[in-house]
Amino acid sequence: MSMPVPPGLSARALQRALDAFAGVVGREWVLDTDLDRDTYRDLYQPANETHHVPAAAVAPASTEEVQALLRLANEHRVPLWPISRGKNLGYGGSAPRLTGSVVLDLSRMRRILEVDARHGYCVVEPGVGFFDLYQHLQEQRIPLWLSNPANAWGSVIGNALDRGVGYTPYGEHCAQLCGLEVALPSGELVRTGMDAMRNGRAAPLFRYGFGPSWDQLFVQSNFGVVTRAGMWLMPEPEATLGLTFALPETTDIIWALELLRGLRLQRVIDSSVTMGNYLRTATMRSQRAEWHRGPGPIPPDVERRIMEAYGLGRWNFTINLFGHETILEARARVIREAFAAHYRGEIHETRWRRGEPPPQSGAHIPTLIFLQVINWWGGRGGHMGFSPILPIAGREAHAQFEATRRRYEEFGLDHFGGFTMGERYLTNVNQIIYNRDDADMTRRAHALFATLIEDAARAGYAEYRTHLSYMDPVARGFDFNDHALLRLNETLKDALDPNGILAPGKSGIWPRRFRGREL
Amino acid sequence: MRRRGGNRHAGAECPGPVRLAVAILLLGGGLLGGAAHAADATAADAAGRVVAGQRLFAARCGICHAAGGTGTFMLARRLGAERALLAERLDLTHELVTHVVRHGINGMPVFTRVELTDAELAQVAGYLTRAAAP
Repeated sequence: MSMPVPPGLSARALQRALDAFAGVVGREWVLDTDLDRDTYRDLYQPANETHHVPAAAVAPASTEEVQALLRLANEHRVPLWPISRGKNLGYGGSAPRLTGSVVLDLSRMRRILEVDARHGYCVVEPGVGFFDLYQHLQEQRIPLWLSNPANAWGSVIGNALDRGVGYTPYGEHCAQLCGLEVALPSGELVRTGMDAMRNGRAAPLFRYGFGPSWDQLFVQSNFGVVTRAGMWLMPEPEATLGLTFALPETTDIIWALELLRGLRLQRVIDSSVTMGNYLRTATMRSQRAEWHRGPGPIPPDVERRIMEAYGLGRWNFTINLFGHETILEARARVIREAFAAHYRGEIHETRWRRGEPPPQSGAHIPTLIFLQVINWWGGRGGHMGFSPILPIAGREAHAQFEATRRRYEEFGLDHFGGFTMGERYLTNVNQIIYNRDDADMTRRAHALFATLIEDAARAGYAEYRTHLSYMDPVARGFDFNDHALLRLNETLKDALDPNGILAPGKSGIWPRRFRGREL
Repeated sequence: MRRRGGNRHAGAECPGPVRLAVAILLLGGGLLGGAAHAADATAADAAGRVVAGQRLFAARCGICHAAGGTGTFMLARRLGAERALLAERLDLTHELVTHVVRHGINGMPVFTRVELTDAELAQVAGYLTRAAAP
């Protein structure tokens, strides 16, 4: 396989750039063999895919090296694609949006610079993973909890910068960012918020600083390379209490969401509630062939058999409460009373008190158990998440769920659907699980994804996060005033990155030199 | 050091991350004592390499491949429980370990040469194939 080159650059020019990069990081940290290119591709991509193929990777060890690489990238007009640890699985992993880009792998930058238990924050570099930070907190006996995503293999910062979510009151990870250090495309270093002071004493404590607040402009953007970030961490609670429900009918979600919205707005519930259908449990605990070997989606009788085997309802969810025990008891009572009007089933309770073995809630210990889902079909599994944002409205959510289920069936795939409820929004999480050794199934999975984007746009919904291949169509869905928001992003992009060297195409934002070329 | 033990995951068939963490810890310490008893310098060198490989395996691979890990679960389903724990397998070869780490297999993802350098991979492979070493 020859080295792919970005549009407008010759192989020789690209090689000159790689040689210059080696002068900064050392030859061993410029990775440009065929094998290297393969290891930085999207794990779940078909092998013959020509999109999102990197030319090489370069792995700096420090902020200074990142700055030097950015300056050289400008000089040589080479697009860089920053990754923290490259574990954004289902969204493209470590692969770049634009074929021929050089992956800027920040995973060697893995220093935990500060953890402050008194104020509840950490300052970390992008290569620090959830397991690294968890281990540090445990070893140092620091009473702070992580908020982990479902796949906790990745980077703490990287996950926040792609709007990853967790399941504690700190579960909106991008909202926990507080004070960033960013290398701009020019190589200049800036710090945001109170961290912009040379001697700032309140850097990771006040989110906004003075004047325009920039932290969120570096989230899902291509305006700079975040080289360190302050992140808020939750103090270890006195106790946790989990209430698990299994709603018997699909239509139960209509009343349940109306009820849950009220409890969330009143902050009786203060963490996200995630509810899934039977396949969420089945894919974690079994393989498809254990239940059904036929083609097409799982038939209704098999679905019922799986639900019976695992004691599942149509909707299964746990409300997790964290905090002082006295308050938890009162909140649980309010929740039970609210459900009593509609729900006659069992409410399974899990409790934990500080000092006991870790709680059932699953909140703060990182795990990769979610990756079991790719084992569902056998073969080399893959998954993609289609997750449009909806209002927390029962009938609307039910209609979206049913319409999506019908689409899955049309494309011959098993519907793994559910919802995660935020403070005022509902994320409609649909996992598309496939066997990438089956070319037809892989094709159907992607066709389904594209169809779901179109369906959602018609209904007034859009994703909050997406796979590399769908960044352009999702961005196009934000179309008020002839895509004025995209044009604003492009104006910023051209001002900050006139040579278009940083993450071209990220979130549909293309620099001038690549714009409108359908790359 | 981790302070807590026990399985806190809701699913009866699912691994507990804490149990996993403890397993990683035990794995990391298991061979350390044995290495100290190596009789001669060559054996000590070999044992030292195995210990280094074991530490790397625990740190980089153990989050999936220790007891209770997601990789161990997947292997149990595909190959049976007796072949699920990589650290206990006797049939692994250096070539197989190297190939799988760099190319992936089934649900197992690839590792870049930044995440696990060639030298580190050789140490991990040395540990996993220690039973076959001369």
